[in-house]
Amino acid sequence: MLSLTLGTMITITSNHWVTAWAGLEINTLAVIPLISKSHHPRAIEAATKYFLTQATASALMLFSSMTNAWSSGQWDITQLTNPPSCLLLTAAIAIKLGLTPFHFWFPEVLQGSSLTTALLLSTAMKFPPTTILLLTSHSLNPTLLSTMAIMSIALGGWMGLNQTQTRKILAFSSISHLGWMTIIITYNPKLTLLTFYLYSLMTTSIFLSMNSTNTLKLSTLMTSWTKAPMLNTTLMLTLLSLAGLPPLTGFLPKWLIIQELTKQEMTTTATTISMLSLLGLFFYLRLTYCSTITLPPNSSNKMKQWSIKKPVNTLTPTL
Amino acid sequence: MALAATLLHNAYFCGRCCRHKALQPLLGPLLSDSLSKSYSSYRRPGSQPEKKTTWQNVDLSFKKSIEVLKTQLGMLKKETEDHLAGPEGQSLTHYMLEQTRVVWEFRSQEDLNKWVISSDVEIGGKSEVYLKLGRNNQTALLYGTLNTEVPRDGETKYSGYCSMRAKPLVGSFARKKYYDWSNFNSLYLRVRGDGRPWMVNIYTDPYFSHQKDDLYNYFMFTRGGPYWEEIKIPFSKFFLSSRGRVQDDQHPIWLDKISTVGFTIGDKVNGPFQLEIDFIGLLNDRAHTEEFAYETYEKNPPL
Repeated sequence: MLSLTLGTMITITSNHWVTAWAGLEINTLAVIPLISKSHHPRAIEAATKYFLTQATASALMLFSSMTNAWSSGQWDITQLTNPPSCLLLTAAIAIKLGLTPFHFWFPEVLQGSSLTTALLLSTAMKFPPTTILLLTSHSLNPTLLSTMAIMSIALGGWMGLNQTQTRKILAFSSISHLGWMTIIITYNPKLTLLTFYLYSLMTTSIFLSMNSTNTLKLSTLMTSWTKAPMLNTTLMLTLLSLAGLPPLTGFLPKWLIIQELTKQEMTTTATTISMLSLLGLFFYLRLTYCSTITLPPNSSNKMKQWSIKKPVNTLTPTL
Repeated sequence: MALAATLLHNAYFCGRCCRHKALQPLLGPLLSDSLSKSYSSYRRPGSQPEKKTTWQNVDLSFKKSIEVLKTQLGMLKKETEDHLAGPEGQSLTHYMLEQTRVVWEFRSQEDLNKWVISSDVEIGGKSEVYLKLGRNNQTALLYGTLNTEVPRDGETKYSGYCSMRAKPLVGSFARKKYYDWSNFNSLYLRVRGDGRPWMVNIYTDPYFSHQKDDLYNYFMFTRGGPYWEEIKIPFSKFFLSSRGRVQDDQHPIWLDKISTVGFTIGDKVNGPFQLEIDFIGLLNDRAHTEEFAYETYEKNPPL
């Protein structure tokens, strides 16, 4: 855990490529034992997948910084001038974050890890690559980023449609939100940060709520109303917030992003992404409908669920 | 492994084509006239000799490829529609409310084709196993003779097993598909055996090949009467084994990515066996509260 904080701090405060890379590597290595702590074959599979993808991404990043240093003679992160380096860096960060078309590892890795580790993976581990993206956003290719972002939103919505495992659902929601974050990064990086913070807050509350009732699959989610009805209600609100419904917090970043995109004369993009996030909305609505609005007829018989681990931050979702 | 073998084959053939007389004395040990392979050429007595190499089986006709493409695209379209409908192709309310599901039943030859039978003939043993449809096409009959005579190849110590295993699901463009049984907690088998004990194996196809021998097993004891038995095996009872050895580090089976289910008989008794199966299904037993049947102790407890 300390190594994670250390790694993140190193990357965020770096202005030399090598320190940024070192911070990312420390993060990767620190989180691998966390993923594979339970010694289950799926957890080990998830850890292997995570390690392979992140190592490739780090190697690509180092390569791009080296080609940039070769052509421009300096290692400053904000001075990324060589176009092939920019492309390579975009690809590397996309792999690290889990943007389409490099998202394939993400649902499986989240599925193989425990709920708290999954929380770490989707919020804390996304922070350093986003910072690097922010620092270099003025020199990256906007078309590429927009394409990847639109595909991420599309794919996050489409693949999340009939998942029955909660961690995979949250993985796809993460991919979708990353798309929203990436689409605005070249025009107004502050909005990316805002989206990221709000997304982390909402995801944290969802993961922690799920952790206290140990809901790993949909049927468990649906029978959790007998154990902690208040938690279930606030979980519903948080899910809708993730989906981006207007009076809830989750709508704010989407609204501002759409506004910024229209200011940049990218109305078609804005319309496309709003339409695509409808897919996700459909899914979240269906989840909340089935789990909270219609009370399922039966109760769970798993002993683990009846012990509440801690009464969780049920008020943060309604921020 | 197969890829490496193919590459070596290709390299060997290329080497044969462009061999020069001057180079031959130098490369003599590398290239040879006999069909040398990278793997051992000892063939176990039960396996068939290779008559045709794999590259001779390729069919390059255009019309057939168009038909194959059409079937695959049709399957892809169906998969997309199923994806839109909900989990496993049915609506979410159906998924929420279902408590039983029949996964395999045996009513026609196509249903039989979804299963593969094997026995110790592949290592050189003498057991026989056959699978056919039972009376009135209502059941499947797995029958044969178990023979524990050990094949004389100097390295096998035990023999005598027969098994039946479901073929894994294949999606469009030959992608692997998995069963999602997370809604259920028991396996429900309607069988009529002859008193012999069987082992039920569940294979969750892993991504990496390190875990490809992992199998979750449990036993099924049949009664042998003329009456049908409904055997319920909760998934919490399955234990993990790898290549037949029970592992120390046990954990309950994860039901969200199941590939195949199989039945094996290997009870060291020479003689005939029969198993008639009506259907194999799943049950969400609300009265079953056990998470995992085996206690797991910490291997290195903190002092």
